[in-house]
Amino acid sequence: MSDTVLEVQALTKRFGGLVAVDGVSLEVRKGQIVGLIGINGAGKTTLMNCVNGIYRSDDGQVRLNNADITRKTPHEIALAGVGRTFQVPRTFRRMDLIDNLMVPLLHTDASDADLTARAEDGLRQVGLYELRHNHGEELSGGQQKLLELARVIMLDPELILLDEPFAGVNPSLCRIMLQQIEKLRDASKSFLLVSHDLTSIYRLSDHLYVLNQGEIIAEGLVEDVQNDPVVIEAYLGN
Amino acid sequence: MANVVTSSASSAGHWLRPDIVRQLIWYLLIVVLVFWCITAPSRDANLSLYFSFMMWITLASSLNFIAGFAGYMPFGFVAFYGLGAYGTGIAVKVLGLPIWLGVPCGAALGVAFALLVAPSLRLAGIYFAIVSLSLAIICQRVVALLPEWLTGGSLGINLGVVADREHGYYAMVLVLVGVLVTASWLARSRLGKALKAIRDDVEAADAMGIDVARSRLKAWLLAALFASLVGGVDAWFTGAFDTQTAFDVLVTAKTVIYAMAGGLGTALGPVVGAGVLVWVDDQIWRAFPVLNNFLLGLLIVVLILFAPRGIVGSLMQRFPRLRRYVM
Amino acid sequence: MNEVLLLQGLVGGIVFGAIYALIGASLNVMVGVLRVINFAHGEFILAGSFFAYAMLMGLGLNPLYAVAPVAVLFFLAGYGAYFVLIPRLQRSDEPETSSFLLMFGVSLMMIAVLTWIFEADIRPVNFSFDPINVTLLVVEDAYGPGRDGRVIVPTARIVALAVNALMIIALTWFLYRTLTGKAMRAAIMNRDAVQIVGIDVHHLSATAFGLATAIAGVTGVLLAMVVPSVDPNGGPPLALVGFVVIVLGGLGHPVGALLAGVLFGVVEQVATVMLPQAAAQMLGFVILIAVIFFRPSGILGLAVSR
Repeated sequence: MSDTVLEVQALTKRFGGLVAVDGVSLEVRKGQIVGLIGINGAGKTTLMNCVNGIYRSDDGQVRLNNADITRKTPHEIALAGVGRTFQVPRTFRRMDLIDNLMVPLLHTDASDADLTARAEDGLRQVGLYELRHNHGEELSGGQQKLLELARVIMLDPELILLDEPFAGVNPSLCRIMLQQIEKLRDASKSFLLVSHDLTSIYRLSDHLYVLNQGEIIAEGLVEDVQNDPVVIEAYLGN
Repeated sequence: MANVVTSSASSAGHWLRPDIVRQLIWYLLIVVLVFWCITAPSRDANLSLYFSFMMWITLASSLNFIAGFAGYMPFGFVAFYGLGAYGTGIAVKVLGLPIWLGVPCGAALGVAFALLVAPSLRLAGIYFAIVSLSLAIICQRVVALLPEWLTGGSLGINLGVVADREHGYYAMVLVLVGVLVTASWLARSRLGKALKAIRDDVEAADAMGIDVARSRLKAWLLAALFASLVGGVDAWFTGAFDTQTAFDVLVTAKTVIYAMAGGLGTALGPVVGAGVLVWVDDQIWRAFPVLNNFLLGLLIVVLILFAPRGIVGSLMQRFPRLRRYVM
Repeated sequence: MNEVLLLQGLVGGIVFGAIYALIGASLNVMVGVLRVINFAHGEFILAGSFFAYAMLMGLGLNPLYAVAPVAVLFFLAGYGAYFVLIPRLQRSDEPETSSFLLMFGVSLMMIAVLTWIFEADIRPVNFSFDPINVTLLVVEDAYGPGRDGRVIVPTARIVALAVNALMIIALTWFLYRTLTGKAMRAAIMNRDAVQIVGIDVHHLSATAFGLATAIAGVTGVLLAMVVPSVDPNGGPPLALVGFVVIVLGGLGHPVGALLAGVLFGVVEQVATVMLPQAAAQMLGFVILIAVIFFRPSGILGLAVSR
């Protein structure tokens, strides 16, 4: 059990009468990429928002490396080692790319020169170095997704939550994205990956959860879930 | 797809590096500005104009700390200015302190008020604007309700006897230097970057490990500090004020306009905006005393519609290379 | 505490409350449909008051006759002003804050124009109905034996209240029974969805802006009947009443604003009877801040999410 990074236990989140996440439990191990799939409105993003503290869950627990982080604020959770990207990329639009990547490093003791060097290096890795003096708002949608990933890497988290990382990203940028994710996995970072692009999620995931109407309806290895009749029904309707 | 903002040909380490050029330009500007203002009395210049010039640069720059860097537009900004004036006045009139000690008392009152109402920073956009505006009005009414021996009632407080006008002028120079140094520090500091991240996207900043509440509180207190210092020093220079002038909504209006006209979010913007518009305002006053406020209003409308990022901001948007030379 | 005074306050509260309800409803249409936080709303109302004042001084007409022309002219002015002011606004970084600033500028301009035409003094609006006052109720021996207390209301206030009630009924009918009204309510709930369904958003928005301006103008006329004086600097308190009412009633919720307006009017007028004046004047703002902090979704519990 010691290699469990994230453990979600019976998590529930309601909005008024709507139960968006209904008693969900899941687990992410060290160096694992865990996929979370489900149709629109299944509660994937809500679950992610609960894990990183943007939403306060109504019930249940979130544990990171066996420490309870359920009631912590987003920045505390970030510093505890959970990074995330957003479904619609949320770069700092009126800051240049170097400053964008420096934001997650501001709390460290490193010198300013060191911070700049690290940010520049981060931009090189995702191929955005040439644009380092541009503002966030001047990037294309796909570039913004890459910038978000680079920003998360700066935080050096143990667990990375990726919300639709491939949506609206052109193939060549997609390739960079995939490379980065695999590289991080090889450095034993863990991932919780939300997507409804099944091809990439099937390819990347070590373990898969299927969310439907706020509940987990199936889980397991990719091959098992792929052929599960319950999942097929949830996706295709009856 | 982005146009690449090309880096200049000079390699890193060269003394013409943009960040060094940027600081040179900025500090040179400060030195010239301060020298120009500090020698005004000996040049027999119009002290009132110079004073209001410095005062509005200071107010606009301090508003920039919270509005430009952190993205909170305080429509009740005048409360700090007014409390600074009253705190100073009460310290001098009632406690019998010398004026140079009275001004810090006024600043302390303004900062204390800022701390008291800091929870309003939790509110989003328009709710913050409405609450901030209401708080300033409540401030004015509460001061008006206080006993006459304390606040002078409807006559206000007159410091003319104890406060030397020219000393007040030099005090303003000091406050101006203070706000400009703070602005240049903030523009380069980590706090400044954190605030800009908050301005651009609160949730994303939070998720990237920025302590949002703490950072914006610091900006809020800095803004309040300088605005209430200005209130106190203005009372020193002018010699008299009452609840109408100290809490005049036009103070907020002009501060916001001047800061926006220059461009929020850079240290340079408010200085340019206030510098240009104080001069324009003065010209308008001379030419059309009746329509002064009309033209001021028109100016706001035109600015919001056609240059919402202000002079400096629009130039930087148009010529991205400039960004690297603007503090 | 005297029973007669309290009743007098209560009646005044209903008269003012109805005015506040109208202010809130018009401001709410603007905020809800256009996301424009109209800082100049007080001046829109004042412009109506001054229009009535000018008709009275120039033509000798009772302010009641100003209702129809103000409604039509203000609607047209608002419809046109929309195209000058609002569409460009949507392009700015923060449309809501920018709209507040923009209308702040408009407010300064309007005050300057009103001051320029009518000068800065407070002017009495001298007109009367026959009879001048109506006695609603006589409380026998209220001030001791043989000294009856009377709850008296000026006829002008009763007429204003009647017009006011008609306006509220008409507005409610418009919002709930006509196609344009329904589209406006839809736009309040979800602006993007309206665009998808193929409604001409510019026309709808301009209509909403015109409607809100027209209601504000008529409110001004009624206000000149209730408080027979006009003051070019009286705008900001009115705008703030509007903000109190819509925050209390729920931002973007027209019916909530009507209820909140009446409630606020009654509380304020009764407070004026019972508290010192400056404290009563502060009451609204204290309520406003309390509501924002403790019940940001308003008394009806419906909020426009950001």
